[in-house]
Parts: sequence; structure tokens; C-alpha cells
Amino acid sequence: MTKIGVYVCECGNNIAGKIEIDEVLATVASLKNITVAEKYKLLCAGDGQEYLKDSIKEHELTHVVVAACSPKQHELTFMNVCQEAGLNPYLFQLVNIREQCAWTTPDTEEATLKAIRQIRAAINRVKYQQALEEREMECNPNVLVIGGGIAGIKASQVLASLHRKVYLIEKANSLGGNINKFASLYTTMEPGFSLIENEVRKVKQNKNIEVFTSSEVSEILGFLGNFEVKITTKAKEGELNFNVGAVVLATGFNLIELKDYPQYKYGSVDNIYSSLDFEVMNLPGGPTGGKIQLKNGQVPKSVAIIHCVGREERGYCSKVCCMYSFKFDRMIRAQLPESKIAHFYSDICIPGKTAQTFYEDTKKLGVDFIYSTKHEITGNGRGLLVNYQNGTGSNTPWPADMVILLPVMESSCDTKKFADMLNIPLDEKGFFAEEHQLLSPIASAVEGIYVIGCARGPQSIAESIVQAEASAGKILSSLVLDKKLKLEAKTCSISDVFCTGCQTCLDVCPYGAINYNEVKRICVVNEALCHGCGNCAAACPSGAAKLKHFTSRQLYQEVTGILRQ
Amino acid sequence: MAKAEKNTAVLVIGGGVAGIEASLLLANSGRKVYLVEKTSYIGGNVIKFEEVFPNMECATCMIAPKQQELLQNPNIELLRLSKVIAVTGEAGAFAVTVEQQASYINSDNCIGCNACFEPCPVEVGNEFEEGLSQRKAIYIPCAGALPNVPHIDTANCLRFTGQDCQACQEACLFEAIDYTQQDEVINIDVGNIIVTTGFESYDPSGLSHYGYRHFSNVYSAMEVERLLASNGPTQGEVLLKNGKPPKTIAIIHCVGRDKKGYCSSICCMASLKIAHFIKKKLPDTGIIQFYTDLCIPGKAYQKFYEDVKGNGVDFIRAEVAEIQKEGKWLTVNYITDHNRKDSLKVDMVVLNPALEPPQDSAELATILSLPQGQHGFFSEKTPDLSAINTEREGIFIAGCAQGPKDITDTVAEAEAAVGQLLSLSAKESK
Repeated sequence: MTKIGVYVCECGNNIAGKIEIDEVLATVASLKNITVAEKYKLLCAGDGQEYLKDSIKEHELTHVVVAACSPKQHELTFMNVCQEAGLNPYLFQLVNIREQCAWTTPDTEEATLKAIRQIRAAINRVKYQQALEEREMECNPNVLVIGGGIAGIKASQVLASLHRKVYLIEKANSLGGNINKFASLYTTMEPGFSLIENEVRKVKQNKNIEVFTSSEVSEILGFLGNFEVKITTKAKEGELNFNVGAVVLATGFNLIELKDYPQYKYGSVDNIYSSLDFEVMNLPGGPTGGKIQLKNGQVPKSVAIIHCVGREERGYCSKVCCMYSFKFDRMIRAQLPESKIAHFYSDICIPGKTAQTFYEDTKKLGVDFIYSTKHEITGNGRGLLVNYQNGTGSNTPWPADMVILLPVMESSCDTKKFADMLNIPLDEKGFFAEEHQLLSPIASAVEGIYVIGCARGPQSIAESIVQAEASAGKILSSLVLDKKLKLEAKTCSISDVFCTGCQTCLDVCPYGAINYNEVKRICVVNEALCHGCGNCAAACPSGAAKLKHFTSRQLYQEVTGILRQ
Repeated sequence: MAKAEKNTAVLVIGGGVAGIEASLLLANSGRKVYLVEKTSYIGGNVIKFEEVFPNMECATCMIAPKQQELLQNPNIELLRLSKVIAVTGEAGAFAVTVEQQASYINSDNCIGCNACFEPCPVEVGNEFEEGLSQRKAIYIPCAGALPNVPHIDTANCLRFTGQDCQACQEACLFEAIDYTQQDEVINIDVGNIIVTTGFESYDPSGLSHYGYRHFSNVYSAMEVERLLASNGPTQGEVLLKNGKPPKTIAIIHCVGRDKKGYCSSICCMASLKIAHFIKKKLPDTGIIQFYTDLCIPGKAYQKFYEDVKGNGVDFIRAEVAEIQKEGKWLTVNYITDHNRKDSLKVDMVVLNPALEPPQDSAELATILSLPQGQHGFFSEKTPDLSAINTEREGIFIAGCAQGPKDITDTVAEAEAAVGQLLSLSAKESK
């Protein structure tokens, strides 16, 4: 039998002073299934909660409506009271007659009528509410880290512990990624490989990290807490399966293909280098033994450094190029104290507390900074010319023996593969998109999958490391050892009888929580992933998808309660 | 083993967006968190912004769910109006002394109805609103501030300055106002500390050539943020001191950069945001940005710049030499990079100043024995490699306490500090 209790909070004078509560109670008490309709001076206070709890028990209520303040303030309070009184908290409905009525409707008579309608709507609705259970799920604490650059290495180190194994997968035959190629790092000017050597040693010494080089991930199925991973590994000649609770994507960056930007003559004229080529030239083990030299073996007397190559076309700033170009100045000066060096730039982008000092020290090295745009390299038999515009009209081309281009960083070629495999969206620049750009920058839109380092946009080494640590922060605080994962109670479900298999819901689900069952030809919600946003329920043309606690019937009854005279 | 059990509780200092994120993650992992905040509210500087770049999201709406979650989380104890005054011990066993100012409000009884403000006879400049509007001696800083519990400013309250007034107490129906409350000294034991004390804006009145506080209609960026805020002093209207909307606005970047010696990372985007926002409200108002280098790093920001530029906002690459007053106009005298001198008449100037560490950072640095770099931000242990570890084991830094940065990087650092903290104890428990 349905036994509904309605409780109106006076909220001191806040509600009692603006709404005729006795009139409200008299009207409400006459409605069907109302067992008790009472007021109390302050329901959220300790004694108010006790009163409510006792009343629910005493009348053996099946449903409860509380008319008080905003759900933001005390919905949780009253849900807990219901729970303590032995009533499922989803059989409770809060009506906001303070902010939405008492405080906004000045006329007492109108406010009273409005409150009656609001409460009637809640009574109508609560009858159709169902008890929901907050479920829990076992989860696997282990983590898969994809990409063995500095971000992946650091994430593995921070995550791995005695009870949490990390699988670190790298497609190349050694760890370290791009930093291996960096002759030096700003601002310490230490060689890149010494950083990597040190960090790789720590990885190898850690028994809780299993490293797979020359290996690729071929399949990932599942969801937060329970992913099944399949990798193919050349080293061990075959396929390997294991389970993890979370996945960290650290797939890094590529430089843009410079041949697509013919104005720079890269690849067609000698002595034009990309920043990475120049790094490699400076490696002691590189093709010139670390010497900065021209194709013909001579040393350059003038070096032009061109900033922002591809920035205008790609539409974003790669953040780190200005800083590493100042590192190049130091490298050039160390070998060629007499050479001319000129930067062709439009903006010097050196955010943060330490970068400007590094820049100012660079200027002391006798380096020219030429503010300019529309750079074009031309070559003649004897050397190169940097053509540019600087707004004054007097732009004499700058003769250079060597040109270093600072190209835009783009996401690595594997990005698309993993986006498809894991059903995570890319942003308009082709990097992995964040769950929320500002407040959840490390999480992808799919729970349990995190994106760090240059896979989510150009980053410095320090930023990549922070993001690696951040992914650990997210994982260690959600996949807690010996603790089950709490799942959302208000999830969606799709009726297998009504589903026509049109898959409209797949496109609108932001959490990748819906799969299409090819055999049954229907869509199925994975309740472990569903956040209960209701997009599928709104989009479903056949009414098969519904959101628990917000069913069409509940909403219809609620609206009717408001509108009926 | 005989070794004493390490304390798992964590002290987080500063309740801005970094402190909130760190506290929530730690609490969700099962840790007890003490969040010490010197003001009466949480949310820090972010809640002063009506909207945040680059997606022009409503900042308070964005943060509110996090604030609510924090206030309702049983593992988090918020100590507002509080200051850390002493820390002894070492990683795993810090003894922390916190001084909490009395709020004179019993927060168990207060329902946040604000009935106590109206009868208060005191009116003083509201610091949260950069002094652009008045507040009472019992107050919350702005509508929507959380926790929604007022406090009494004893420096201005009549009762606490020797007069007989109890207007607020008489107006409160819940007996929530208690004049007998005392400041408290609270001792807490924690194993780790995360410092998330954020930033303050550099005060441009130190640079006299900009005329800030000398000429009316020369505003700081934070003042304009509050003018743009729907819960601010003008309910979101951008107005000159005479109450009329401005016709031409100069926005000046990098104010104080030369003096401070670093780029504050976010001012270009903040300037673009202000321009974007004013253009939306006042489409016919001319806006000119004076800048030397645009710093819009990363994948997401340039598009915003292009949109603003496409929307009729002008950019002049020049150094601003001086701002002068000529009748009702302000003249911006500037020098372009070809050493050409020029000037522009506007009726409003917005100065976008550097971000600097809060004034009390040095004091906190001493209490925590934490080194500060040359610009006063807390120093990381290994610059260019890790932003959040410090020289002191067990103490981490995150967000603008470490250096100027945007919300994205701030949140990432807060998560990173939690990552390192939880990782270290996972590695110790064998």
C-alpha cells in the first residue's frame, strides 16, 4: 500500500513568513495516499532530522516528500535520513519552495498556490519512483601505460607499487621517446639521454613495472576497473593478454611534415634543418659527431632560426619552441663563438616564472631578434636567404648559411588508432580531448582512460611529468586497493523489446557506455560506465532507452502536478 | 617493525581551485583532509570571474559542484578564516598549529538566509569587489559564495569597536549569531602538506606612468572582471565612473612585467577574454589591445585569439609609455617597435598586471621552511623536471603558489601532488 508522508519546513521565517503553510498542508492532506502531512520549524537541524526519521518509521511510510530549500543544500541530508529510517532514499523527493517560491514570489496568496502545485507535482512523481541500489564493483588495480617517452616512464614509476603492477608498452625498441634525440635540455643544458638513462634505470629496477618494447597494443576491451588488454610483442614473439583497471595514453608527438610547407624549402635545398634534425646533429653519436656543420663540412657563419613554422596554418602555438630555440643559441655559441645568429619571430612565448631569465641571458649572447612574418627561404648557389615582412617595407633578405625551422608539434600517428580503439574523442587539432579542458585535463571522456604529455597537446618536459603524476593522482584516488568502485545508481537502461537497433544513442553518449550487440541487433548500456546523463533517453526514437529516476512517466506526472488547476 | 605508523591525514593550505581538487581526490581515496583557508569562502580567485577562457564557461557554475562536493565530504574538514601559524616535525608526522578567527556565527544553526546583513548599520568597501561596492560588517563577500555562512568583521563592527549594537543578532531567527565566540588555536597532526596558496594581482599603482588610482576610468583587470560579473557591483555592466558605458577601451598587457621579470602566462588570454566579453555586451565599443608579445601557448588558445580579432578588436604592438588625462579623455602614449611615437584617445583603460605570490607567502615559507625563488613563488625541487616536489620531504606545492599558470595546469598540478603523495605511501607500505 502506498503511504506518502509530506513534510514542510518552515525554515524559520524564510518559508513560514511568505507561504501559508497550514493552507498548503490542508490541501495536500486531502490528496490520495497521503498518510501524514506536517510542518516543522527547521527540518535540517539535528532535532528536525530526528523528527523526520521517527515519523517515517512510525507511519511506515513508503514514499516521502520534503518541501524545503534547494536540493543543492539538503537533498543529501534528507536522503541520508530516509536511509537511516529504513526507506530507500530514491523513494524521496525534495521540493524547493524556498529559493523557487518563498524568495521569488512576493505575494503570499500566489506563493501559497505555487507551493501547493510544486508539492503536488512531487507527490505525483514520487509514487512512480523506484527503489534504486547504489552498486559496487570489484576493480583491478593494475595499469596499462602506452608510450615509453618521459610521460609514460614517469607515470609508470609513480603508479607502480607492491600491490599495483604497471605494464609499460613502447612500440620502438627502447624507452625514452623523443628526448633521446635532444642534445640538451632547457634550462639545465644537460644532455637528454642522461635524463632518460637515469629514469630508464629506475624503471628497470622496479619489479612492479613490466616493460614491453617493440610491442603494440592490438585490443582493449572493457571499462574502468576491468579492461582486457591484448598486445603483440616482437620481443617475445607473439600475443599476450592481461587485465588492468586503468589505461594511461602517453603516445607523444610528431613534428609536422615540413614538405607540406614548400616556402621553407625543407628537403629540397641543403642546410635547412628541422629542430629535431638540429638536435640530432648536436648529438655526440650523431652523423657529424656533434659538430654543427654545413653539408659541405664547413661551419656556418650565419644561422637563421625561424619560429612558428606552420603555426598560422595549424592554428595553434606549440608552447615550447621559443624556449628550446634559446637552447640552440647556447649550443651554437658554444661551438661557433663568431657566427651570426638571428631569430625570425612574431611572438616570444615564454610563460612562467623562470623562462624570461633564460631569454634575457640568450640576448646577451649576441643574438638578433627580428620581428617578422611571412617567412620564405630562397636559395642561390652560395647560400640561403631568409625573406620576410616586418611592416616597415624595408625588409632586406637576411643571408644565412644554415636555417633551423621550429615546426609545430602535432599528435603522434598512433593517436587516431587509439581514439578509435577506445572510443575517445579527439579535439579539432587532432589531439586527445580532455573530459573537461579546465577541471579535468588528464581524464579522457571515457572513465578509466587518461591522457598525458604531448598526446593531449604540446607540452614541455616539466608539464609532461606533472601530467604523468596527475594521472597517478587520478588513478590512485579512484582505484583504491581493497576498495570497491561505487557506481552511479541513476543509470540508463535500454529495453531489448523496444530497441530497434538504430544506434542513435551510440552517437550521443559522451561516456562510451553503450554498445551495439551485433547478434541481438540491439543497443546495450554498460551500467559501470553510464553516468546517467540521459542523452540516450532523450534521443531514442522508439522510447527504448530510459533514465532511471527520470522516466517519462515520472516526468509526465510531475508536469501534470504543476499544471493542473 | 618498530617504526611508528605514519600519519595518513593531509593538510591542504589554500582553498582555491588547486586546493579543492587536491582535497577531493585525497578524500575520495580515503584520506582525512584538513583544508585551511584564510578567507571566509572557498574557490579562490576563480570565483571572481564571470566567465573563464577559452570556452567562456560560467566560472561559478563550473566550480559550484566541486565546492558542494567538498563541503559535503565527511573526510574533509574545512577550516575557514584560518591561518597556519606553526609546523613542526617531519614527513609522516607533522604537528600543525592553525589559528582560526572567530566568525561569530554558529554554522550549525545558520541557514544562510542573509537576514542579518540588512539591519547592520556599517558600510565599508568590499575587498572581494576590489572596493567597487560596499558591504556590511556582517557579510558574505558576494552572492553565491560558499560556504554560505557570513562572518563578522570585527575591525568595522560597531559592537566590537566599543558601541552597543546587536542589530544582526536581533534579526537572526535561528540564534546563529554568537558574540562570545573566541579565536581558536587548533592543533592537527598530519603526514603530508600540500601548499596551494594561489596568487594575487600586482598592484599597478606602483607604476605611476599608468595613472592607476590617479585618473578615474583606469581600471585593473580584476576590477573589470568584477564589473563583468553578474553578481558583482554593477550586475555585469561595464560602466565608466560617470555611469555611462565606455566608447573606446585600451587594454594594456604585461603591466609590471619588466619590474617583476617574468611573463605571467595567463594575462594575454585574460585580456582577450575581457575584450571578447565587452564586445558581446557593448558591440559598438572600440577595443584596442596594447601588447608586445602574445603568449597564447598550447593547442586551445590561438583559436580564441583569432575569434576575438575577427570580432573587431584591434591589436597594437607597442610599449605604452604613459597614460595622461586630457579633459574627459585618457591619452595612451605609446612607442611602436620601429621607435615611432604615437598616441590614442580612449575613455577607459584596463591594465592587466602581473600575477605575484600572495603577500603572506614569505611568512608561510618560514613556517614551512620552504624555499622561495627569486620572484617569491615557492620553489620546486628540480626546476624544468618536476613542478610539485619541494626540498622538504612530505610537502608539495601546486598551482600558482609555484608560479603563474592557467586553470588547466593548476588542476593538473593539484592532481600530480596527490599522485606523488599517494604513490610514496603506497611504496612505503610493504
